[in-house]
Amino acid sequence: MSATFEDIDAAAEAATRRRATLRRYARHPGFMIGAAGILLLLLVAILAPWIAPHSPTQTDLMNTLAPASSTYWLGTDQFGRCVASRLIHGAQVSLLVGFFVVLISLSAGTIIGAVAGYAGGWLERALVAVIDILLAFPSFLLALALVAARGNTLDSIILAVAIAYTPRVAAVMRSVVLTIRPRPFIEASRAIGLTPWTIVLRHVIPNALPPVIVVATVSAATAILAEAGLSFLGLGVQPPTPTWGNVIAEGQTAITTNPLISLSAGLCIAFTVVVLNLLGDGLRDTLDPQMRRNTGKLL
Amino acid sequence: MVGHVARCVGQLAVALLGIVTVAFFLMRAIPGDPALYMLGDFATTEALAALRARLGLDLPVWQQYGVFLLRAVQGDLGTSVVTGEPALREILASVPPSAALAVAGMAIAVVFGVPLGIIAAVRQGSAVDVGVMLLALGGISFPVFWVGIVAILTFSHALGLFPALGATSEPGFWKGLHHLALPALVLGLSVAAYIARLTRSAMLEVLGQDHIRVARAMGVPERRIVWKLALRNALIPVLAVIGVTFAWSLGNAILVEAVFSRPGLGSTILKAILARDYQLVQAGVLVLAAAVVLLNTALDLLYATIDPRLRQR
Amino acid sequence: MSAAFELRGLTAAVPGEKAAIRLVEDVSLHVHAGETLAVVGESGSGKTVTFTSALGLLPKPGRVIAGQALLEGVDLLTLGPEALRRMRGARIGMVFQDPLTGLNPVFRVGAQIAEVLRAHLPLSRQAARDRAVELLARVQIPDPARRVDDYPHQFSGGMRQRVLTAMAIALGPRVLIADEPTTALDVTVQAQVLDLLGDLRDADGMAMVLITHDLGVVARQADRVAVMYAGRVVETGTVAEVFAAPRHPYTIALFRSIPDIEAPPGTQLAPIAGSPPEPARRPAGCAFAPRCFAASEAAGCHATRPPLTGTGHAAACHRQGALEIAA
Repeated sequence: MSATFEDIDAAAEAATRRRATLRRYARHPGFMIGAAGILLLLLVAILAPWIAPHSPTQTDLMNTLAPASSTYWLGTDQFGRCVASRLIHGAQVSLLVGFFVVLISLSAGTIIGAVAGYAGGWLERALVAVIDILLAFPSFLLALALVAARGNTLDSIILAVAIAYTPRVAAVMRSVVLTIRPRPFIEASRAIGLTPWTIVLRHVIPNALPPVIVVATVSAATAILAEAGLSFLGLGVQPPTPTWGNVIAEGQTAITTNPLISLSAGLCIAFTVVVLNLLGDGLRDTLDPQMRRNTGKLL
Repeated sequence: MVGHVARCVGQLAVALLGIVTVAFFLMRAIPGDPALYMLGDFATTEALAALRARLGLDLPVWQQYGVFLLRAVQGDLGTSVVTGEPALREILASVPPSAALAVAGMAIAVVFGVPLGIIAAVRQGSAVDVGVMLLALGGISFPVFWVGIVAILTFSHALGLFPALGATSEPGFWKGLHHLALPALVLGLSVAAYIARLTRSAMLEVLGQDHIRVARAMGVPERRIVWKLALRNALIPVLAVIGVTFAWSLGNAILVEAVFSRPGLGSTILKAILARDYQLVQAGVLVLAAAVVLLNTALDLLYATIDPRLRQR
Repeated sequence: MSAAFELRGLTAAVPGEKAAIRLVEDVSLHVHAGETLAVVGESGSGKTVTFTSALGLLPKPGRVIAGQALLEGVDLLTLGPEALRRMRGARIGMVFQDPLTGLNPVFRVGAQIAEVLRAHLPLSRQAARDRAVELLARVQIPDPARRVDDYPHQFSGGMRQRVLTAMAIALGPRVLIADEPTTALDVTVQAQVLDLLGDLRDADGMAMVLITHDLGVVARQADRVAVMYAGRVVETGTVAEVFAAPRHPYTIALFRSIPDIEAPPGTQLAPIAGSPPEPARRPAGCAFAPRCFAASEAAGCHATRPPLTGTGHAAACHRQGALEIAA
C-alpha cells in the first residue's frame, strides 16, 4: 500500500538525483545561515583584540553606566567598561567552552556508546545501566556541583560541563550503533575474523559519524548555554574576564539604568545557539533525514 | 498489566540504588579533603581528625559506601555543616516551592507545546508552521535566565502586571499564584519550545503511516484523524521526552529561582555550594535525581495505558 | 447499463524540475455492479496511484490534472473535501495492501471500526460497537463479541486483513477497491481472503476493483481485466478474451514470464528484460518500446504514443495488427 509513496519518491528522486551534494547544502537556507553565523563568530573571537574598540577590562570611572554612543557602542557598565568590547571578547570563552566540551564529551560518549551498542551481553547492560542512572541527574546541576568542587577556572568548567553532558551523547551514540549493528558489512567483518575493537573503530564509528556530527553541533549549543548559566550564577569564569553570562549577571544589577547591557549579552548567546541549531538542523536534513528522532531528544 | 507495574517498580528500586551509588562515588571522585574544605586552612589537626571521624572519612571507601548506603536506606543523608540540621530535612523543606514551579512550568509547556506542535505538523510548510518553528527555535536558544530578566523588565517594570519577585511571604493561594506566574511561564516556555518541536516531528511521522491513510480512505473526518487517531500515537515519544525535559527543566529551575529570587531547591543547593556544605549538596543532588526517576516511572506506567503492546509482555 | 464506477482520462502528476511529472496518464476504466475488474501491472505501473487519486487521497505534492472519476454518475473530482469525505468509506470502500500497518496500533479494533461507522452515521457508542461485532462476524472472525475489544497486535495478518475489510464494507459501499489485498499474506491465507471478498461482492452486489500483479488471481476472481504499464492502460478486455488472445506485447510477455504447471519439463521461463521507466524518464513513444520484442522503427513505436484502440477488447500498440497475424 506504500506504492503511492514509492512512486512519488521515485519521481522526486529522479528529479533530484543528479544534483551535486554541495548544491544540496547551498539550497538549505538554515544550513547556510548557520554556517555563515558560526564563521562570523569565529572571526570575531579570533580577531577580538583588533575589532574591539576598547580593552574589555579597562575602566572609565568618569563614564559609568553611560548610554550607547559613538565611543561606547553599547554604553558602559557600572565600572565604566565598554560593553561592546566585553561582548566581543566574551565570544572567546563561549566558543572555547563549546569547542572543547564537544571534543571531550563526543570522544568519550562516542566510544562508550559505540562499545555499549556493539558489545551486547553484560557489558552493554552494565554500560546502559550507568548511562541511564547518569541521565537521571539534571546535567546542569551535575555541572554545577562539579564546578563547585573543582573551582571555577576555564579548564575545570570545560571538564565539568563535558562530564555532565557525556551520558547524553553516549545514549544517542548507542541508539545509532544499534541501527548499524545488524547491517551485513558488520556481519561480514566478523566473519573474516576482525577483532571487535577493529570493527568498532574501523566500521561502526565511521558509519555512525553523520548523526554524531549533528549531535556535536547541538551539544556545542547546550554547552554554551550551560557555561552562560554557570557564569550567571557566579560559578563561571570570574570577572573581570568577560563572559556573556557574567555580563548579563553584572548588567542585571543596573537593569533599569542601562538594560542594554544584559539584553545585548543575551542576544549574543541566543545568536550563537540559534546558528548552531540551524547548522545542526541543516546537517541533519542533508546528511541523515532518518535520525530526526534521535537528535530530537538531545537537549 | 500487573507484570508491567511490577517491572516498573523493580526498575525504580534499581535506579534509586544506582543514583545513591553514583552520587556517592561522584562526590568522592572529586579531589580534595572535604574536612579541610569545610573547616578552612587554619583548622587544627585534632579538629580535622575529629571531623573526619564524624563524617566517617577515616574508614576505607567500601566501608564508607556501606555505611552511606545503610543510612540512605533509612533516610539519613548526613547533616548540614552550616545549620547542623539533617541534610534530607533541609532539602525536603525547600521542595514545595520548587515542586510548584516545576509542575506549573511543565503544565504550561505541555499546554502550549503539544497543540502548537500538532498545528505546525498539520500545516506543514505553511506560514503557521514556519512561525511556530521559529518561535520554538527562539525558545530553546535564549538562555532561560535572560528570558527571565526580559520578562521582569516587560511584565513587572514596564507593564506592572506581575511582581518581579518570584515568591511572597504573604499567605493566600492566589497571592502565591500571582508571584509564581512569571517564573513558571519563563521556565515553561523553553520546555514548550522543545515539546512543540518534538510533537511536530512525531506527528508528521504518524500522519504518514498506513493506518492514517486507511482512516482517510474510510472517510474519517480530518479533525478526528489528527486530534484522536494520530495524537495518541504521537504522544508516546512526546511522553518519553517529557521525562527527559523534566531533568533538563530542573536544571533550568535553578536559574529561574535565582533570577526571581525565589526560594526552593535550586537556591538551597546554590547556597550550600557557596558555603561548601557538601553533605547538603549531595543530598540535594540525590533528591533531584530521585524526582526524575520517580517521574520516569510514572511515565512508564502511563505508556502502558496508551500503548497496549507494552501491557502484554 | 451504466457503470458503478468509471474513470475517464484520469491524469495525475507531481511537480518536477521543469514540467510536471505524470504518474498516471489518460486512464479510462469502468466496473459494473456485481462485477470484478482486475487491474494488473508491475509495481510502479500506477495501479495504486490511479485509485488513490480518484479518491482524493494522493499525497502532496501529487495532484490530479485531468479526467473524471464517476461514482454512480457523480464526478468525485469535482466534489469539495467534505462532500468527498462523505463518499469515501460510505459509497466507495478501499482495502489496502499491508494489513500489518493498516490498523492503528493503539486503538482496539472495535473502536477503529466504530470510528468509521460514526464518521458517517449518527450512532451511539453502544450501537456502533454492536455493529462492529456484527461486521467482524460477517468477515468470519471467530468469537467476534470477544475479539472486538482486542488490539491489532493480537491478530494474525490474515485476521487483520479481515478487520480492514470489515471497515471497508461497514457502510455498505457500492464499490470496493482492493489494492493487492493478499500480497503481504501467507499463501494459505490468500485464498481465504480472496474468497471472502468474492462472497461479499456477490452478497451486496458491489462493484469490485482488484488491484494485483498475480495473473492466477485474475483468472480465478475477475470478470474483466485492465493491464497497466508505465502509468497507462495498455490492454483491456474480458478475462476470457485477454487470456485467450493477448494483444499487447507487454501482456504477452507477462504470460510468458509466469511458470505454467502444464508446460513440458525443461521449458525456460522468459522474464521481461530491463525494468519499467521511472515516471520522469518515460520515452516519447510507446513506453514499452525499449523492452518490446516487437518494436519497430517503421511502425513508429519509438516516436509516437499508441492510442488504446478496439471496442471491448482494446490494446495500445502500433503493432497489434501485425502481432495478431503472427499469433
